[in-house]
Amino acid sequence: MRRSHDETAGLLRWYPRTWRDRYGDELVALMEDELGEQPPTLRFKVSVARAGLRERAHGTGLIGDQHSPTERTRAGTLLVLCSWTAFVVAGISFSKASEHFAQAVPAASRSLPQDAFIVVAICGLLGSALVVLGGMAALPTFVSFLRDGGWPALRGHVLRACLLTVVTGVALIPLGAWAHHLNQHQRNGGDGIYSAAIAAWAVLVAATLAQWTAAAVAAGRRIDVGHRVLRLEAGLAVAVTGAMFAITTATALWWATIAQRAPWFLQGTATGSNSSPFDPQLVFTLALMSAAALTAGYGVARITRSARAVRAG
Amino acid sequence: MRTKREPTGLRRPNDPPVLILTSLAAGSKHGHALAKDIEAFAGVTLGPGALYGAITRLEERGLIEPLHSEDRRRPYRITNAGSAALADVVTEMRRISDVGASRLGLTLGMPG
Repeated sequence: MRRSHDETAGLLRWYPRTWRDRYGDELVALMEDELGEQPPTLRFKVSVARAGLRERAHGTGLIGDQHSPTERTRAGTLLVLCSWTAFVVAGISFSKASEHFAQAVPAASRSLPQDAFIVVAICGLLGSALVVLGGMAALPTFVSFLRDGGWPALRGHVLRACLLTVVTGVALIPLGAWAHHLNQHQRNGGDGIYSAAIAAWAVLVAATLAQWTAAAVAAGRRIDVGHRVLRLEAGLAVAVTGAMFAITTATALWWATIAQRAPWFLQGTATGSNSSPFDPQLVFTLALMSAAALTAGYGVARITRSARAVRAG
Repeated sequence: MRTKREPTGLRRPNDPPVLILTSLAAGSKHGHALAKDIEAFAGVTLGPGALYGAITRLEERGLIEPLHSEDRRRPYRITNAGSAALADVVTEMRRISDVGASRLGLTLGMPG
């Protein structure tokens, strides 16, 4: 019985803290009434977890209409920022997967994948510049927030992000030294242990970016930038989302043309050989890009629905 | 298909908020009693997550309110605003069911 109680009470972790403080005991009592002596099934746990995540989305203004238009716009904008972080991870993966592709493609077939690659690069730079611009627009309010004693609310996020940054940076030193003793084939998948180490480091990079984004979101939820800056941030979020869709389309086009004209490049086999166009890294990259772009699209829908009310101020 | 959305957030008759308000219209209840009553009169099983998600929204909108309780099983009751919102939904459902019944040539009586 004790174990069953702990299991049901443990499901509360899916809910935001303020919700748990208000309804947590009641929900645990209800779950105990429903389950009796039985432990919760997987389906039961998934259902409660889903409801908890939904409550979190409600709390941040991502779903529901109980928040003000300003809050909903802010939530949509921050969702685009989170999606952009996932996009950066996908972009790094694409950059690695497409390294030196031009040399592997016959000159006569090179223009289309090259153009697609240029679109990815330009839109990537443009999106990054817009994200930086959004950060700069919010900077004065952020500085005032810190001066007014806001640091304790962000300290945990920022310290975790700093720690991850240091670990990621330090981990690069032995990896660099190791790479120095490997030939090009070994560095590009020929050495399984080195590839695994690089994959682990890539996970560290992704975790670092995610933690810095979490810090930015924590700050973004706490500062009041005013209607004018919020409108600017919302406009930038829409533009960044446009860049994300353009990059996703260009990446798919790049893959399709390479698969058709130089499939050997995707498998690292000899030029002109028969190869499968299927590449797990590109599947992951495109899936992550698509998911991030669609999530950002939801954020933009949230922004545009609230835009009229925000304009009215 | 777009449906007219009430400002109270109540839409379809099988929406958890409508079921909860209907149940509370017969008297205050806590979570487990609500779930059992809804299962009995509507044949709908609401999981704990869905039930408390709907309770949260209804309380935010002032359509239900919690009663004092020493127990963890806190009962809720429908407010005047909740009764008015439920009346609107029931009237709308009745109007639609009347149209359907008339077109099918059925005679509808009040449920027992």
